[in-house]
Amino acid sequence: MGEVLIELEHVGVAFSAQRRLSGGRFWALEDVSLQLRRGERLGVIGRNGAGKSTLLRTIAGILAPDRGSIRRAPVSCQLLSLALGFVPHLSGRDNAVLSGLMLGLRRREIMARLPSIREFSELGDFFEQPIASYSAGMMMRLAFSVAIQVEPDVLLIDEVLAVGDAEFQQKSGAAMRSRMREGHTVVLVSHNEDTIAALCDRVIWIEHGRSVLEADRETVFAAYHRDMHPPVGTT
Amino acid sequence: MRQHLIELVLFSTYAELRAEAARSYLGLVWWVLEPAMMMGAFYLVFDVILKSGGPDYLPFLLIGLTLWQWMKSCITHGGYAIWSNLGMVRQVRLPPLVFPLIAMLSDTVKFLFVFALLLVILWCAGYPPNQAYFALPLLFAAVFLFAAGAGFVVAALVPLVPDMRFVIEQVLTVVMFLSGVVFALDKVPPPLQQVMALNPIAVLMDAARGILMHGMWPNWIGLSKVAAISLLACWIGATVVAQLASRYPKLAS
Repeated sequence: MGEVLIELEHVGVAFSAQRRLSGGRFWALEDVSLQLRRGERLGVIGRNGAGKSTLLRTIAGILAPDRGSIRRAPVSCQLLSLALGFVPHLSGRDNAVLSGLMLGLRRREIMARLPSIREFSELGDFFEQPIASYSAGMMMRLAFSVAIQVEPDVLLIDEVLAVGDAEFQQKSGAAMRSRMREGHTVVLVSHNEDTIAALCDRVIWIEHGRSVLEADRETVFAAYHRDMHPPVGTT
Repeated sequence: MRQHLIELVLFSTYAELRAEAARSYLGLVWWVLEPAMMMGAFYLVFDVILKSGGPDYLPFLLIGLTLWQWMKSCITHGGYAIWSNLGMVRQVRLPPLVFPLIAMLSDTVKFLFVFALLLVILWCAGYPPNQAYFALPLLFAAVFLFAAGAGFVVAALVPLVPDMRFVIEQVLTVVMFLSGVVFALDKVPPPLQQVMALNPIAVLMDAARGILMHGMWPNWIGLSKVAAISLLACWIGATVVAQLASRYPKLAS
């Protein structure tokens, strides 16, 4: 077992419900505890609105907990955001540099990777054109090609394993899976149980903002299925 | 980490300027044409129609408006920058002050274009270059610090109270008229004059006009006081932003 990189203890995160002077707060995360160790690939499962994305942004350090505590070893931690900082009137090349900088890369690192970004995105000469002229699919190909270059100590992924048409989905999915198998520490949020089963060693199950169970994937999936499809005869 | 942020701010500034130039047919030309049109409007009203100007009015007005537009755009664009980038703030962990800085730097680049045009006009109008020009970088530094100080404070608060935006524009218009931008403060009754001379913007305006029109070195003591006040405002703004940084990602935009 690797050292503990990030540890959450009874973490709660609240948002203001409305922009009113007397606006109440709602707790997107109520009480979540987890440990992330170096080299571990942790999957997060749970129904819609369970707080999975909020949890990921809390681990990323974007959201600060309103209660509970979070301990973090001095590691870089990046949420994989597609098309972060994209500006419509700039070329694909300029947007790649901009988005790469936003995702934490140094400028010379992005410059060195521009040829491979261009190649992976399959944009050809469009790479030099303003992205305002791109189709939605082209935009996602560029966005993914930039995002896959980012190499933080802890990679946080929210459902963006594969994008684009069927062919590019296969290619991007394969690139992402190989990134995850390279021994990086990863936290992956997904609705798709198969994805999590294929890529993660450990799984945490979140329900109504609370961590229900954190264990190896077989144990968690068994409990999760029992909860979703209770045996006939029980209510 | 720090070097990465410098690269991010500089490249984002370049990207913002480039995108802005690409958004309209005339592109870069608007950076100069828009302020020129505004100056024309003020000249028409205050000199041609109201005849309230005086012999040196044209250079007086142009210098005042050029500097004021720079300050104002830094304060408003910088001031709204965190609020208008809340979408990004929710997705990535960056110091929030990055956003006002990018806005202020790109406004500064645009100001330099307008200022170059201003110099040409002044030379043609009989106000040649002089050795007091060497004081311009220090004057610009003081103006930028002042605008940044005000902009940071506004930037810290607008995400929490977006309603402030409707007030700020009006307040800035009043401040412009009270700061000797379009008419000289010696036109105001004497008791008020003394109060208004304490206004940091009036000090900056005087210094700029002294250099560009009369070849006079600025009042260094006055300029230092303005710089000190501005640094204090920058510090207050940056501190408040740091205090509120954890709240921004949780706000609705």
